[in-house]
Amino acid sequence: MNRKKGDKGFESPRPYKLTHQVVCINNINFQRKSVVGYVELTIFPTVANLNRIKLNSKQCRIYRVRVNDLEAAFIYNDPTLEVCHHESKQRNLNYFSNAYAAAVSAVDPDAGNGELCIKVPSELWKHVDELKVLKVHINFSLDQPKGGLHFVVPNMEGNMAERGAHVFSCGYQNSTRFWFPCVDSYSELCTWKLEYTVDAAMVAVSNGDLVETVYTHDMRKKTFHYMLTIPTAASNISLAIGPFEILVDPYMHEVTHFCLPQLLPLLKHTTSYLHEVFEFYEEILTCRYPYSCFKTVFIDEAYVEVAAYASMSIFSTNLLHSAMIIDETPLTRRCLAQALAQQFFGCFISRMSWSDEWVLKGISGYIYGLWMKKTFGVNEYRHWIKQELDQIVAYELKTGGVLLHPIFGGGKEKDNPASHLHFSIKHPHTLSWEYYTMFQCKAHLVMRLIENRISMEFMLQVFNKLLSLASTASSQKFQSHMWSQMLVSTSGFLKSISNVSGKDIQPLIKQWVDQSGVVKFYGSFAFNRKRNVLELEIKQDYTSPGTQKYVGPLKVTVQELDGSFNHTLQIEENSLKHDIPCHSKSRRNKKKKIPLMNGEEVDMDLSAMDADSPLLWIRIDPDMSVLRKVEFEQSDFMWQYQLRYERDVVAQEEAILALEKFPTPASRLALTDILEQEQCFYRVRMLACFCLAKIANSMVSTWTGPPAMKSLFTRMFCCKTCPNIVKTNNFMNFQSYFLQKTMPVAMALLRDVHNLCPKEVLMFILDLIKYNDNRKNKFSDNYYRAELIDALANSVTPAVSVNNEVRTLDNLNPDVRLILEEITRFLNMEKLLPSYRHTITVSCLKAIRVLQKNGHVPSDPALFKSYAEYGHFVDVRIAALEAVVDYTKVDRSYEELQWLLSMVQSDPVPYIRHKILDMLTKNPPFTKNMESPLCNEALVDQLWKLMNSGTSHDWRLRCGAVDLYFTLFGLSRPSCLPLPELGLVLNLKEKKAVLNPTIIPESVANNQEPVISTNNHGQSVGFQNTFSNSQEEEEIDMDTVHDSQAFIYHHLNMLERPSTPGKEQSSGEINMHPVSAAPLSVFSKESNSSKHSDHHHHHHHEHKKKKKKHKHKHKHKHKHDTKEKEKDPFVFSNSPASARSIRSPSLSD
Amino acid sequence: MDPIPSLSRVPSSHSGAGPALSPLLAVQTLLSPSPNAPFPEFQRAGSKQAGTPADNYHLARRRTLQVVVSSLLTEAGFESAEKAAVETLTEMIQSYISEIGRSAKSYCEHTARTQPTLSDIVVTLVEMGFNVETLPAYAKRSQRMVITAPPVTNQPVTPKALTAGQNKPHPPHIPGHFPEFPDPHTYIKTPTYREPVSDYQVLREKAASQRRDVERALTRFMAKTGETQSLFKDDVSTFPLIAARPFTVPYLTALLPSELEMQQMEETDSSEQDEQTDTENLPLHMSTDDAGPEKENTSVLQQNSSLAGSRNGEENVIDNPYLRPVKKPKIRRKK
Repeated sequence: MNRKKGDKGFESPRPYKLTHQVVCINNINFQRKSVVGYVELTIFPTVANLNRIKLNSKQCRIYRVRVNDLEAAFIYNDPTLEVCHHESKQRNLNYFSNAYAAAVSAVDPDAGNGELCIKVPSELWKHVDELKVLKVHINFSLDQPKGGLHFVVPNMEGNMAERGAHVFSCGYQNSTRFWFPCVDSYSELCTWKLEYTVDAAMVAVSNGDLVETVYTHDMRKKTFHYMLTIPTAASNISLAIGPFEILVDPYMHEVTHFCLPQLLPLLKHTTSYLHEVFEFYEEILTCRYPYSCFKTVFIDEAYVEVAAYASMSIFSTNLLHSAMIIDETPLTRRCLAQALAQQFFGCFISRMSWSDEWVLKGISGYIYGLWMKKTFGVNEYRHWIKQELDQIVAYELKTGGVLLHPIFGGGKEKDNPASHLHFSIKHPHTLSWEYYTMFQCKAHLVMRLIENRISMEFMLQVFNKLLSLASTASSQKFQSHMWSQMLVSTSGFLKSISNVSGKDIQPLIKQWVDQSGVVKFYGSFAFNRKRNVLELEIKQDYTSPGTQKYVGPLKVTVQELDGSFNHTLQIEENSLKHDIPCHSKSRRNKKKKIPLMNGEEVDMDLSAMDADSPLLWIRIDPDMSVLRKVEFEQSDFMWQYQLRYERDVVAQEEAILALEKFPTPASRLALTDILEQEQCFYRVRMLACFCLAKIANSMVSTWTGPPAMKSLFTRMFCCKTCPNIVKTNNFMNFQSYFLQKTMPVAMALLRDVHNLCPKEVLMFILDLIKYNDNRKNKFSDNYYRAELIDALANSVTPAVSVNNEVRTLDNLNPDVRLILEEITRFLNMEKLLPSYRHTITVSCLKAIRVLQKNGHVPSDPALFKSYAEYGHFVDVRIAALEAVVDYTKVDRSYEELQWLLSMVQSDPVPYIRHKILDMLTKNPPFTKNMESPLCNEALVDQLWKLMNSGTSHDWRLRCGAVDLYFTLFGLSRPSCLPLPELGLVLNLKEKKAVLNPTIIPESVANNQEPVISTNNHGQSVGFQNTFSNSQEEEEIDMDTVHDSQAFIYHHLNMLERPSTPGKEQSSGEINMHPVSAAPLSVFSKESNSSKHSDHHHHHHHEHKKKKKKHKHKHKHKHKHDTKEKEKDPFVFSNSPASARSIRSPSLSD
Repeated sequence: MDPIPSLSRVPSSHSGAGPALSPLLAVQTLLSPSPNAPFPEFQRAGSKQAGTPADNYHLARRRTLQVVVSSLLTEAGFESAEKAAVETLTEMIQSYISEIGRSAKSYCEHTARTQPTLSDIVVTLVEMGFNVETLPAYAKRSQRMVITAPPVTNQPVTPKALTAGQNKPHPPHIPGHFPEFPDPHTYIKTPTYREPVSDYQVLREKAASQRRDVERALTRFMAKTGETQSLFKDDVSTFPLIAARPFTVPYLTALLPSELEMQQMEETDSSEQDEQTDTENLPLHMSTDDAGPEKENTSVLQQNSSLAGSRNGEENVIDNPYLRPVKKPKIRRKK
């Protein structure tokens, strides 16, 4: 933590330097999902009295540790397995987040910590004092890993290769410790030797060069030997084993692609583009790709779509596509480019600490952006930048800020830079996934801001400098102290910038990197005719959460009759008004062409504008050189001019959004003109469709002519002779393809005076479906058909319901009947001729949910649940789950919520588990201030359990559970829990309890103590202290959560102490954290731990009994109690903390 | 050679009674009554009373055959025979004669004649394994019994087929003995001509509704024959949804183009050669794959020489570690 920054360079937090590591996996069993192997770390002590070596390891069962061939004692303690031990009564998230951050810190390799502590045998102490090399050899195995390594084993006939079974490493940030013991830090680099023995029909793909492949003696297996000579962090080590098809890139023979059986044709097509990305990056960075080879592996059930590791990337197999697919192509190429950018920055160049992460994400995101600009054009690039900017602005305003470079002074929690968040940003593993996504987004936007400041040329020079330094360092095979040159730090990066550019970017860094928040501008103007001056007023809101004050230059572009002029305003503390002199006097010379920013001169119809003012439109910060949100007021005709004549797509999009507020015929005309203009960027035209629909709805009473866009669509896409029939599909022109897809979707949003979708529009869409003919098309029309179904769904309006009658077929609206007919047919056809990525099924499911929600079809989750099952394509599952989540919210179904939560715990696909929590968070069944029958104590316990111990195998999932808990209950104690007990009541309870001597075991007497205290925390301390008499250190550590880091340090030093495993065992849900089942510690006092667990079980039963009793009462007292609640409220009832609930009824006594 | 012409007439004589039956079948139906109960058989054959001229005619013939069988039996020295035995023998002889007639007719037709000749019969008999040489001697045997000729019954009148139009007379170059032309309606095509549909709109309409009908029928069939799901609890048939079945390998169906699409692709874009071999790849086959990239490499080079930069120097030797052969284990490593 107390790492020095600046000129000193990198200082390792560890008392040793790791130089080389061997990972050998001798056996992989797909049937049992187990792995057996060993690692050997070569380390050089850097201090004389090194007697303990701390390493990271999770899940692994460690059999034996040897140091220089001598048996070594070791201790294993992972506080993140169960964050709050023995179910403290606390149920507030603040408490949890602190405890979780402390637990993660306690094993954080960047602080020199680790789960595994190895004692250097005393025989070697002398050896160590001479700072001689140590070889740490660890034998380990993994059994049914729940994280880190993911096995995909299809349930069918045949051997594992025929079944397409495969396994790959995965995880969020540094998660390598899940599958082998290592120093799981991005800053500890070493060279690697990797060996994998696999079935002869399988291929093992890993980092570095494949040196050789050797058969085992029985010729039934082979061993892949990999060497990675470029120093690499353990966190960048990866593995994929499966019966892969191998494709050597035809353009670059050192690049090899792998995919699952039968997909080779798709792989060929998908990767045929990759060499261009390589060329692009190598050219702009003027640097060769740092590794001698590159591998791409496409696997099923991916954790994330793209994961970059040293010299290899793991992709989701769902990115593969054939030449017939349009929509997926750019997306997949983006993923490939992203992965490759991270090869340079992220894998080859690693980071010094977590707070330097933004540099890597920023640079890789930035060069990826450059690639986008080159590949998809400036319009697409600017559109993307705008989109990212809008996203980050929206997120920061919602949650209160994203901090790129957190600096943690002093180590005290008090000055937490992110106190507005419900999680700690000190560690990547405590970060909400959404926050991390936004973090990456902001990082590359800030890089772009730096580029704006110092120019792209200097920017690329800086990158080149970083890379060449790193590659020099990486070739120093035997000078491991040089390797720190391969780590990037914020200060080092900034120093490079100032060296290269000679510019001071400190204010910029201070504003966007060291500080969180975005800028919110409100702009308005007045034209002073007398002075011929534009009086611009720019206000800022810097008091709302997520905002900050901006001081500095701000560019304003004014389009006047005589041309476009840029002005740079100085935004200062107190000046709101800015006078900008205008160049054009008046509009006397009407016929003159008007010059635009890009030098183009155009004719405009100026009749709409204000006769007195020469202003056509005004833009604030047109280059997006501030992370800001601008709300600017100008009149409708100015927006219309901006839309028609401004050539920047961002300006056009802004104008479209602004025009929504001006439903006039002039706006309508401007939008239709844009729609028809083929030179116009297709995304702008697509956006115009939706705006036009909104305008048409606002103008419904005065709207003349056919429904908006209908005649346009007819003209563009229908036959000349029979305008009601669409032409046979020809998607050669992608711009019109996208427009053709979008227009019906937008048209379906039209509403008539009765707020219904006009019959004409519905029939039109049905005709499009009917006459759709793709026989002559080179491309698949699956996305188009899917969007037509979306259009049908968009046309649905709420059913007219007569006193909540049950929905049956007989009272089905005839229009809805037609829609249902189509959906049924589409959905059934999908079973016979499935579409690419089942896009049509996805749209059908969404449409059915819309029909249910609008009361046309009885609301029923059964259909969705069947599609959500494991074994359906992931997109289909997500769509179905989304519908179930929505149902849970709308129908307040406890049963479905339970179903979803059980899926979170047990689904085989990590992405699905993550996604369910994500969707529940985004569309929560209730929120913290809401009365809901779903909000009950059992649910609190369940979720608490989930984030406390149920998700310890997956950082992302745990953070997802934290997010959900936050959304449902907020930071403080959930309102549905009974209030903290009062002394008097507790006494009453005690009396009752005394009647039954089995209810409260040994601690009865002790419980008197907390009675006095009304303070939660104090209470729990007292409670636990009473235990500590018998249980000693195990109880202590959870108690002192706030500095458990210190405690664990202490704890680990007391080598004679037993480790925690025995304790976890007792907590009911053994399978949640398999590691705990392993009696790892050689010192473990068997008697102690077993006694302990006995005690726990005892407890457990008592509480169950008591709780049942309580439940019964509860039901009588509270009318809102539902039946479902009774069903299974004791899923996690083994929490000692639920003892609290016993007292709750007595509150009302 | 008396029976032969008469038998050979059987099919033609019968054609009136049962026009739908083939001659042989007709013979069988007509001549295969079970021996003990001939009458019911006949009744079943169609006529309500046994008195139609055709029935009488056939009965008379059969009775003659019975007499023949009986006399042959007597010749052979039998004094009496059970009715069933006689009937069986009658049946056999009848079949035999019928077969001779049928085969003889085939032979004669084979040689493009309408009337069987003696040689046809001879060939037939030879073919049936009958020693023709013995026939004259047998005919002239001494103990030969002479039976009376079958009673003269009128050949049943064949009901006139419905005539439609005038039969065309033979043109002069066709000899008169050739059969007459059949009724004109059997060979003249009837012009039920309609304008071919070339109207674009109608064609599209038709294609669309046809496809829709096929799809609907197919999906309904699938839904009827398999498990279904329904959106309405009370009604499972109006909008039947084929039940969702999980796949063992879901990504394959989701990613690979369907056969229909593949076919379409080939039709629309013939230039893109899609090596069939690729799809049939075995899980792991480094040797065959060896050639794959190379081939593609050369074709790419041809197509796009500008892209083939410096990286593509030696296309003939791809040195990729994954393509190298797997080494045999080293013996010395063994302890």
